[in-house]
Amino acid sequence: MDTRELVIEVRDLVYTHLRDTPFAVQALKGVDMEVWRGEAVAVLGPTGSGKSTLVQHLNGLLRPQHGRVRVLDYDLSDPNVDVRALRRRVGLVFQFPEAQLFERYVGDDVAFGPRQLGLSREEVRARVREAMEAVGLDFEGFKDRLTFTLSGGEQRRVALAGVLALRPEILILDEPLAGLDPAGRRRLIALLRRLKGERGLTLVLVSHDVDDVVLLADRCFVVADGRTVMAGTPRELFSHPPATLAEFGLRPPSIMTTMHALADRGIPVRRHCLTVDEAADELARALEGG
Amino acid sequence: MIVESLELRRHVTIGQYVPTGSPLHRMDPRFKLVAFVALVVAVTFTGSYLGNVALLALMGGLILLSRVPARYVLGGLRPALPVLLLLAALQVLLYTPEFTGGEGCVTLFRAWFVHSTTCSVKLAIVSAARFVELLVLTSLLTLTTTTTGLAHGVEHLFAPLQRRFGFPAHELALTLTITLRFVPTFAEELERLIKAQVSRGADMGGASWWRALRRARALLPIMVPLLLGALRRAEMLVLAMEARGYVGGRGRTRLVELRSTPHDAVALLLALLAAAAILTVPWPW
Repeated sequence: MDTRELVIEVRDLVYTHLRDTPFAVQALKGVDMEVWRGEAVAVLGPTGSGKSTLVQHLNGLLRPQHGRVRVLDYDLSDPNVDVRALRRRVGLVFQFPEAQLFERYVGDDVAFGPRQLGLSREEVRARVREAMEAVGLDFEGFKDRLTFTLSGGEQRRVALAGVLALRPEILILDEPLAGLDPAGRRRLIALLRRLKGERGLTLVLVSHDVDDVVLLADRCFVVADGRTVMAGTPRELFSHPPATLAEFGLRPPSIMTTMHALADRGIPVRRHCLTVDEAADELARALEGG
Repeated sequence: MIVESLELRRHVTIGQYVPTGSPLHRMDPRFKLVAFVALVVAVTFTGSYLGNVALLALMGGLILLSRVPARYVLGGLRPALPVLLLLAALQVLLYTPEFTGGEGCVTLFRAWFVHSTTCSVKLAIVSAARFVELLVLTSLLTLTTTTTGLAHGVEHLFAPLQRRFGFPAHELALTLTITLRFVPTFAEELERLIKAQVSRGADMGGASWWRALRRARALLPIMVPLLLGALRRAEMLVLAMEARGYVGGRGRTRLVELRSTPHDAVALLLALLAAAAILTVPWPW
């Protein structure tokens, strides 16, 4: 019935950090998740819910202690799986990735990954150009700039380019919008949408901010206390009453809260608007109608 | 790469604190520090097999007393193991009798520049034992004492020096606290950086060990950001302290006043006796 390709499948994943030490913490207690090729999936949940631990399994940084993780055609329970090959196809961008930059010049930093692959000079250059243009940094203008003189938002895009230069099929981003100013956020959201639309990249986003998620994700998984507690499209998810969401440390998108408030005061609007544009249309309709 | 090798914090036992409420935890940090120094001296000057057996037994007893899982305390040994083995091998193979000293060294093996004697074997074994003993002692000290406890202890012990010679006891204690406090933090950061660089194609530990230069270069992507992060963190710490009006030692009061009990004196006495006994017994072997 489904012709789409399943690229990530997580079943009943359990993981304990620092197992067998006094500091052992069970971060994952049974997570299920599946991602199809070409879609954007968000992993939502409060701080400490196990989101970051989950995504570190998807490129083999952590191995399942119990349960199953399959990514593309790699089974991560198999100790002999070629994680280096996997990591080329699955790019993982950590939280605050600008902290991992180390080269003097922007171009060299982006070239780090391709050089590790042992590609030719021309090929490395082509990939760096492609990756930098993809994140909206002009190749000629930025490649010889000093990395540490760039703004925070620019540094983050350099770090993202460093991962894109590996040409991954799946891109995982841990809190990609954290700490950016509103302009930087808008730019990055537009960029991620373009990567998905134009390059057919599969996206997995980790976030605790529902306002970001509704703008980007086709589907969401809510992780709370190490378990998948809800799954569905943003619309399905946020049609649950706010009290149910609050149970899992979530709130409705800000604009939906406004619509709830308007509807509660007797203004005839639909409550479940996810984005500002949608809410504006709804309000216009209500005003004309009334 | 080994599956769990990315979890670095597993092996950083120094600077961690594991509250179990054991008698070792309850001991007054000033007394504990003096006892610690006495035992370190005993370890340092004991070169005999039997003396080290006694010390290892003592360490075992202390681990039991601390109620911290032995497996965790000894986990700190694992990263040091390769160096330890290499060191032992060098000592056994290269130390000549003139170098190791001691009477009645019997040559076990001799060829070209390699010269093994019973003395060099003994030195290697005793050095390894001492390393384990020192690691257990230092780990136990931090595992059973909060950093503030340690700092107050150090400050108290150096206070007479401060009064007489203007020795900066408080500053020393503060430096110590900050150092210990950041060991686990850096381990965490290191782990994060390794993961991040591996995620964008870095190959950690891939080059053969004889290509030292290549291996050193492979560390750059981790060392540069780690150092930058450390500097940034230090700057933030300074700002935070300034913002809260920190002015150093003079006239500062404490939240927790140290109070010693007779138990502390007894514990210290036992430690001193143990150290003295191990140092003075003429171990026959």
